[in-house]
Amino acid sequence: MYQIPRAEWYDLTRATNWTYSYVTEEEMFPEEMSGARGIPMEEWETYDEPYKVTYPEYVAIQREKDAGAYSVKAALERDAYVDRADPGWISTMIAHYGAIAVNEYAASLAEGRMARFAKAPGNRNMATFGTLDENRHGQIQLFFPHANIKRSRQWDWAHKAMQTNDWASIAARAFFDDIMLCRDAVAVSIMLTFGFETGFTNMQFLGLAADASEAGDHTFASLISSVQTDEARHAQQGGPSLKILIANGHKDEAQKLVDISIWRAWKLFSVLTGPIMDYYTPLEHRSQSFKEFMVEWIIIQFERQLADLGLDAPWFWEDLTNDLDVTHHGMHLGVWYWRPTVWWNPAAGAGPEEREWLEEKYPGWNKTWGKCWDVITDNLNNGREDLTLPETLPYVCNMCQLPIVGTPGNEWNVQDYPLEFEGRLYHFGSKADRWCFEQDPERYKEHQSLIDRFLSGQIQPADLPGALAYMGLGPGEMGKDAHDYAWAAAFKKQAEVA
Amino acid sequence: MAAFPINSNFQGDFVMQLVPVDTDDTMDQVAEKCAYHSVNRRVAPQPDKVMRVRLHNASDNFPRDMKVSDAGWRPTETLDIIFADQ
Ligand SMILES: [Fe+2]
Ligand SMILES: [Fe+2]
Repeated sequence: MYQIPRAEWYDLTRATNWTYSYVTEEEMFPEEMSGARGIPMEEWETYDEPYKVTYPEYVAIQREKDAGAYSVKAALERDAYVDRADPGWISTMIAHYGAIAVNEYAASLAEGRMARFAKAPGNRNMATFGTLDENRHGQIQLFFPHANIKRSRQWDWAHKAMQTNDWASIAARAFFDDIMLCRDAVAVSIMLTFGFETGFTNMQFLGLAADASEAGDHTFASLISSVQTDEARHAQQGGPSLKILIANGHKDEAQKLVDISIWRAWKLFSVLTGPIMDYYTPLEHRSQSFKEFMVEWIIIQFERQLADLGLDAPWFWEDLTNDLDVTHHGMHLGVWYWRPTVWWNPAAGAGPEEREWLEEKYPGWNKTWGKCWDVITDNLNNGREDLTLPETLPYVCNMCQLPIVGTPGNEWNVQDYPLEFEGRLYHFGSKADRWCFEQDPERYKEHQSLIDRFLSGQIQPADLPGALAYMGLGPGEMGKDAHDYAWAAAFKKQAEVA
Repeated sequence: MAAFPINSNFQGDFVMQLVPVDTDDTMDQVAEKCAYHSVNRRVAPQPDKVMRVRLHNASDNFPRDMKVSDAGWRPTETLDIIFADQ
């Protein structure tokens, strides 16, 4: 049978639009869902995605990807890598699955919004594949950890985490709801696919894939690469939307959507990826520091992409660059200190050799972050574990929902950015977090942070055990030190030898 | 006498913390309550210093015997707790 060559029909089908006879354009594409911003249909029809694929091609490629990742998993299952992997690496996987797997389904809904409501036919076409991509990511990242539930209940948090009020879940939901689920199709294409996926998922997944191969975890490495190749494709939906907005006089708004998305993504990655790269991954398996990764993937590459589109670097670019020396160290120390409140076992990563590495990658680490870890290390070596566990809650930011942190020790500088709005006092961890709020207070003002919930009596009993119960953490799920304090004991041994 | 939540920013620590104080507490008692969650946990003690309370980023400290109820704070007010000579 004669088949028309792809080149002859592809452009026609991917750009197909039609004339509605039973409904108006406004009924077909409500502004709230489509977000056309007054730009006429002819303009949206110029949407030109750089990556093109047909359905048969898509299915063939995806089938191969799945077959590859699942067969690596099946082949290595007997090898029981998980039983001999470093506990820091196990924590990395458990943290990753809980934060990401179920949100892949949410991403599928976001792709669905574009597939149905985007006025650009090319966007609808791409997003249809995007919904399938994200569905696959949800399934594969639930299926792989499921095999390990027999090892620890923490693996079950791949599915459980996002159904709870754990502080990390609240933070992840607050971010993903904002950029994926509560925006119109055009904003989704910019905030989710351009802001978040081009920059940050790229980094999380490429960084993790590199660390996974280094650590010998071929199952995780193949899973991650399989996901990342989809991301690299569907992340390209935002660029053409940005071009259309800019060409039609909406540059300011395009810039704002990008800026909010980048800042919020940065904060989430500072608590998820930062600790993993600089503290959990065993020293000998680290490829780059988190800061080096961020500079390469976000500061340099992303800025270039923005410039190519005719956008500016976000106004907070300098703040972000400076925060690469601060925020994730604080997030890590916070997660470790409040370890009973997370579903994974944080690796302190603060033994003698690790601290040397940290000082080298982050000059001044010892006289700042190291000062806090000194007190913790002494307590552990003097039988005072109780002093290394929390008795109150950290104050969290009303935007990112993460602790308000800053530089400790000799260069103490921890700043709050408060705002009184309609009689309520909000606290923010940075100028940019407060700025995000100020761009659209109606969107954010009702949200209750964990602290707000605690103070309004939603958490009972109103103490730390009550908060742990509220967060859904049961026995065998609460985090503890991944290496049972061996890193602290190493200092004691050093002292004895000396 | 009533519970009153404040946001404690303790000198040398890395994070702000929710600390419940009492409207009858003096500033010295507020500092003590904040210190409980920072000193000997992540901040080394400084026994030769006193701990003073000020509004976040303010230059003046509150008088040591001033009561919370007289300080004019909003609930969850951010306070710096700093080591000082007197
Ligand atoms: Fe995905
Ligand atoms: Fe994606």
